[in-house]
Amino acid sequence: MRNSFFRILLLAILIACLGVLSIYSSTFQKEGTQWQEIYKRQILWLVIGLVSFYFISRFNYRKLWDANYFIYGVAIFFLLLVFSLGVTRLGAQRWLKFAWFNFQPSEFAKLAIIIFLARYFSRKSIDDISLLSAKFGIFKGIILPFIFVAIPMFLIIEQPDLGSGLMLMLVFVGLLYLTNVRLKYIFTLLITLILPLPFLWNFLHDYQKQRLLVFLNPNIDPLGAGYTIIQSRIAIGSGGFFGRGWLRGSQSQLYFLPESHTDFIFATFSEQWGFLGSSLLILAYYLIIRQGFVIAQKAGDSFGRLLAYGISLLLALQVFINIAMNMGLAPVVGLPLPIMSYGGSSVLVTFIALGILVNIDRTRNVF
Amino acid sequence: MERKDIISLIIIFMFGALIMGLLSLGVWQGAKFRRLSDSNCIRLISQFGSRGNILDRNGEIIVGNKISYDVMILPQDLSHIDQALVLIGRILNLEVKELKLAFKKNFISSSVPVTVATNIKLKDAILLGEHKVEQPSIIVDPKPLRYYPYGALACHVVGYVNEIDRWRLTKLEDYGYKTKDIVGFGGVEEKYDYYLRQEEGGLSVEVNHRGKFMRVLGFQPPRNGKDVTLTIDLSMQKIVEENLSGRKGSVILMDSLNGEILALANFPNFNPSIFVNQRNKLISGLLNDANAPFLNRAIGSSYPPASVFKMVLAAAGLELKKINTSTSFVCQGSTMVGARRFNCWDVHGVQDVFQAIAHSCDVFFYKTGLLVGAQNIHDYALKLGFGRNVGFELSGETSGFIPSPLWRKINKFQNWFDGDTANLSIGQGDCLVTPLQATNMLAVFANRGYLLNPYIVKAVGGLDFSVKKKRLTPVPFKKNTFEVIAKGLVKVVSDPKGTGNVLSALPIKVAGKTGTAQVSRGATHAWFLGFFPVDKPKYVICVFLENGGSGHAASVIAKQIIEAMNNQGLLEAKVI
Repeated sequence: MRNSFFRILLLAILIACLGVLSIYSSTFQKEGTQWQEIYKRQILWLVIGLVSFYFISRFNYRKLWDANYFIYGVAIFFLLLVFSLGVTRLGAQRWLKFAWFNFQPSEFAKLAIIIFLARYFSRKSIDDISLLSAKFGIFKGIILPFIFVAIPMFLIIEQPDLGSGLMLMLVFVGLLYLTNVRLKYIFTLLITLILPLPFLWNFLHDYQKQRLLVFLNPNIDPLGAGYTIIQSRIAIGSGGFFGRGWLRGSQSQLYFLPESHTDFIFATFSEQWGFLGSSLLILAYYLIIRQGFVIAQKAGDSFGRLLAYGISLLLALQVFINIAMNMGLAPVVGLPLPIMSYGGSSVLVTFIALGILVNIDRTRNVF
Repeated sequence: MERKDIISLIIIFMFGALIMGLLSLGVWQGAKFRRLSDSNCIRLISQFGSRGNILDRNGEIIVGNKISYDVMILPQDLSHIDQALVLIGRILNLEVKELKLAFKKNFISSSVPVTVATNIKLKDAILLGEHKVEQPSIIVDPKPLRYYPYGALACHVVGYVNEIDRWRLTKLEDYGYKTKDIVGFGGVEEKYDYYLRQEEGGLSVEVNHRGKFMRVLGFQPPRNGKDVTLTIDLSMQKIVEENLSGRKGSVILMDSLNGEILALANFPNFNPSIFVNQRNKLISGLLNDANAPFLNRAIGSSYPPASVFKMVLAAAGLELKKINTSTSFVCQGSTMVGARRFNCWDVHGVQDVFQAIAHSCDVFFYKTGLLVGAQNIHDYALKLGFGRNVGFELSGETSGFIPSPLWRKINKFQNWFDGDTANLSIGQGDCLVTPLQATNMLAVFANRGYLLNPYIVKAVGGLDFSVKKKRLTPVPFKKNTFEVIAKGLVKVVSDPKGTGNVLSALPIKVAGKTGTAQVSRGATHAWFLGFFPVDKPKYVICVFLENGGSGHAASVIAKQIIEAMNNQGLLEAKVI
C-alpha cells in the first residue's frame, strides 16, 4: 500500500536535494544576502511542499470532484488578479505578491485545469453508469472543454507566458487522447489549432518571435536572445561525462549562464555533475512519471485514472520541455523544471500534484 | 495497442531523446564545449615589454620607446557601447562615427577588448581613467611605442617599425611571430628584429560574466628586447645630416682602421615616427615619391664612379709596372683612341702620376688604361672591393658593376674596343659602384693596404662583438703603390690647382679625390672621397651628390662636415 508513497517521496526528495545543491552552487558567490539566502528559502518551500504532500496524500481525491468548479473559479480569479495586481519580473506579469513571497497563479491553474478536465470526461450517464465521454459529439467532446481550457490558457499566454499556455494545450490534447473521445475529433482539433499558426505569428511579442528564431539558429544574436541558449549548451557540454564537480562549474558559478537557479538549473546541474548525473536525474523524473502511469492504470475509477494521467503528463511535458530547452532542442520558454528550479509556487504545486497521485493509489487500495 | 500504451511509448521516446541530447552535448562534443567554457571565463591580459633601444657608440639613444595610451572597449555589454563611444569622442575630440567604424573594424569577439583609438595624449588618458566608474567597459591600455628623439636622424640605418605584412609573416611564423606583431622594416630594425623584439608576457585570469576579475591563474612576465649598439657617433651623424640636408645623395663617414661606420646619411629621408602614428597619407605620399626617400643610397644604389675610379687605374698601372713615378704623359686637352677623340676636362700639359691624380687628368689615365688593359682594370677594381657586395649588415645592398671584355663577349656577344677601355679608365661607361664601395676602396689607401669589412652594429644586448666584425683583408699590393697614390691624394687638396683644393683651408690636413660623373640624363653626380688626418689617417669620408653638379660641390660639403667636426672637438679626442 505504501509502496508508491515512499517511491515517489524518495525520488522527489532526491531531486529536491540535487535542486538545492544546484541553487546553492549558482548563487553562493553572488553579492547580497537575498542571493546567499535563496537556497534556504527553497528548503523552506520544500518543507512546506512535503507537508502538503503528506496531507494531500491522506485527503481523499474524490473531494476534488465536488470542489472542481470552485477550484476552477479560484484559478481564473487569481489569473485575473495577476493582470491588475501582478508583479512584473523579467518583463512578464506572472506573480502575485503575498506577505513574504510571490505566488505564481499559472502554476496553480495548470493543476486546476487538469482536475477540471478529469472530472469533465469522467461524468457518467445516469441511466447505465457508462461514461458520458464515449457518447460525446464534437461539441461536448471537443469544443466545450476547449473553451474551458482556453479561458485560463488565454490569460496565461497574455501574461505573457507562451510556454505554460502551449503546454496546457498539449496536456489537453493528451488527455483527450486518453479519454474515449473519437480520434477524428481530436484530429479536427489539432488541425484547427495548427492551421492558423502562421497568422498567430503576428500576435506574438517581439521577444517571443526572437526566441523562436534564435531557437532555429542561436548564432543570429549571440549576445542578445541567443546568449542564454549558447551559454546553456556550453554549460551542459563542458560538463563532459563526469562533470566538473560541485561548485566547480565556471559557467554557472561565474554567471555566464543567466537564470542558472530557475529555468536553466538543469544546465547548472549538468555542468557540475556531467552526463552521468544528468542521466540519473532524467531517470529519476522518468521513474516518477512512470509511477504516475502505473497508478493511473490501476486506478479504480475514471476520474482518478484521468487525474493521474493528467498529472503525469503535466510533469512529463514540463520536464521534457525544460530540459530540451536547456539543451537547445526546444525554444526558450519560461517553464521551470519541477522540484529542481527555484520557485515556491512550482515546488508547492508539484508536491500537491504528487500528493494527489499517491492519494489516488492509496484510495484504490482502501476500497 | 491501447491509447495509454502509445502515450507511454511517446514519453519513453521523449526521455530517450533527452538522454541522446545529453550524450551528444556532454560526451561527443564535450571537449569543444569545454574549450568554449574556458574561453568564456579565462582572459589573457597581455603585458607588453618594450622593444630594445638602438644606441649610438657612446650609448646615446637614437631610437627609444615611450609609453603610449590606447583606448579599448570591452564589448560585453552592447547597450553601453554607444554611450562609451560618445564619451570617448567628447574627450578625444573625435567623431563618434569614426569611432564606431574603428570599433566595427577591430571587433573580434565579445570577450576581447576592441581598440578604438590609439596613441592618445596622457592628459586624455587620465581624463578617460576618471570615467572608469560610470563606464567600466572603457579600458585605457598603456603600451610602449617606438620613439624617435631626433626625428629622421639615421632613418636609413635604423629603419622603421610597422605591423607585420603577410610576406614576412609567412617567413617568420616558425620563429614565433604572430599577426599584428610590430616588426622592423629596413635597416637595423629589420636585420636585428629577432634581438630587438620584446617578448609579450601577461596574466591569465578568471573573470565572471561581466568581465570582473575573479582570480589569477598564471603569470608570465614580459621581457624587454635587447638593446642594439651601433658604431654610429650621434654627434657626427648630426653634423653629417645637417650638411647634407636638402641635397639628394649620401654621406658616409667610416673609421679607416677597423671599418666602423661613424655616420651614414642619405637624403631625401623620412621620419620613422609616421609609421608609429599611422599617418597613412604621409606614408603613401613618401612611398610614391619619385625621389625614393626610403632608398638607402649609400648601399642600395650604384652610380658611375668617374674620377674616383682613377685610383684603381693608378694602382693597376703601378702594380703591373706599366707606369712608375717618373712616367709622364702630355695632356693637350684630348687624345685619340683609335679613330675617336677622347677629351680631358682641361689642358694639363705634362703630368706624372701624382699630378694626374691631383688634377684628375683624364688623358693620363686613358693612356694608363690602354697600357694596363681592360681585363686588368676589372681585376684590380675587384681587388679593391668593387663589383661585389661589401657584405654590409643592412639589407638592400647592391653589388655595383665593373665591366670586362669577357663579360661583354659572353653576355652581349659584342667585342671590346679600346674606346671602352678608355671609358672604363675614367670610371664611366657601364661601370657602377655604391658610395659604400667607394668609401671602402679609399680606406685601403688610407690604412695602406687593408680592405675593410664595414659594419654598423657594435654590440647587441651589451655583448660587444666588434672584434668579430672587424676583418682586415690585406690587399697584395706593393707598399710603394699605396704611398704613391696616397701622396697623389694629398696633392688633390694641397696642390693649388688640385681639384679638392677647397679643403686645404681646413686646419686638418685632408687627402682625397673628387669625381664628376656624367650621366645620360640630368646634371652630373658629384663625388668626394677623402681621408684625414693625413699623417695618421683615421677617418674616411665619402660625399656623394646625386645629380649634384661637379666634384667641387661634394668637396665643399666634405669641407663643411670636417670643419664642423673639428669645431666641435670631435677629432682631437679621437686622434692622438
